Amino acid sequence: MSCDTFKPLLMGYLDEELTALEAVRVEQHLEECHDCTAELDDFRKLKEVTRNMRVVMPDDKYWDEYWSNIYNRLERKAGWILLSLGSIILSAYGLYWVIAEVFLDKNVHPVIRIGVLTLIVGFCTLLVSVLRERFFLSKSDKYERIKR
Amino acid sequence: MNPIEEGSAIERCKNGDREAFGLIVQKYMKPAYYVALGYVGRPDDALDISQDAFINAFRHIKRFDSSKSFFPWFYSILKNLCLNHLSRSRRRKEDSIDQMVEEEGQSRIPVETVNPEQGAVQRDIEVRIGKALQRLRPKEREIIILQHFQDYSYQEIADLLGIPIGTVMSRLYSARRELRRELERMGVRY
Ligand SMILES: [Zn+2]
Repeated sequence: MSCDTFKPLLMGYLDEELTALEAVRVEQHLEECHDCTAELDDFRKLKEVTRNMRVVMPDDKYWDEYWSNIYNRLERKAGWILLSLGSIILSAYGLYWVIAEVFLDKNVHPVIRIGVLTLIVGFCTLLVSVLRERFFLSKSDKYERIKR
Repeated sequence: MNPIEEGSAIERCKNGDREAFGLIVQKYMKPAYYVALGYVGRPDDALDISQDAFINAFRHIKRFDSSKSFFPWFYSILKNLCLNHLSRSRRRKEDSIDQMVEEEGQSRIPVETVNPEQGAVQRDIEVRIGKALQRLRPKEREIIILQHFQDYSYQEIADLLGIPIGTVMSRLYSARRELRRELERMGVRY
């Protein structure tokens, strides 16, 4: 077998992660291959120099807050959804009421009726625009992080 | 938490139980942090992004096939967020060349020695190794952080990333070879 097959196994040998059988095969190869022996030696030195090194961990307080941060944001998210749902239901009812009571009532002064109509058209335009933006955003960037 | 307990926690998550999701987060927050750190390189960003990934995971938990293990699925969400973050910060860097020069010189993965003995010399090596790590490709950095700096076993890494042990070894080989090359380039002797 060529050296290339053994290179990854050198890692397992160095880190003592091989089965006994694999380790024996690597040792047999090392006995007859100077290159792999030298390379293993370099890797061993690298491992030695970084032996006691760790990636710096965030302080404990970050880990203590980690889950509560997530929980609060999930909860807030649920709150927002309910809030939006409620406002949509109430707005729809309000709209129905205004149209029925004011706009279709011939006794109301025409200026007020035109004003109410303009208000409704404006409100609907804004609503559609906001919904389209949210929909577009969630489609194009499914995993985009949520801004806090 | 064993796989069976994990499975039942996931089922409860699917029914909207946020407390059950807490168990999953507690189990995987540290590996999630290391993976994110491997990609984005900055500890505070890694904390933020890994939390965002858990939030996205909970929102899409119904799509998760609970006969499989959680982390490899979660990993793909986390990786996407990290890549988004990187492409956005790259765009920002292009806007400001000064900042790019500054960051090239300074950015490094923070490493520290447990029970340090040598003081200044050791600290200098830590800084250089941190910079060399920063120069690796994300996949290489990730496996080096997990195996080399956090002592995860090959089996643990294989389970976390959902890859065979043979792939763990070949990735580790090319990552360590790159790390040696970077250190040599920076004139580190050991
Ligand atoms: Zn050889």
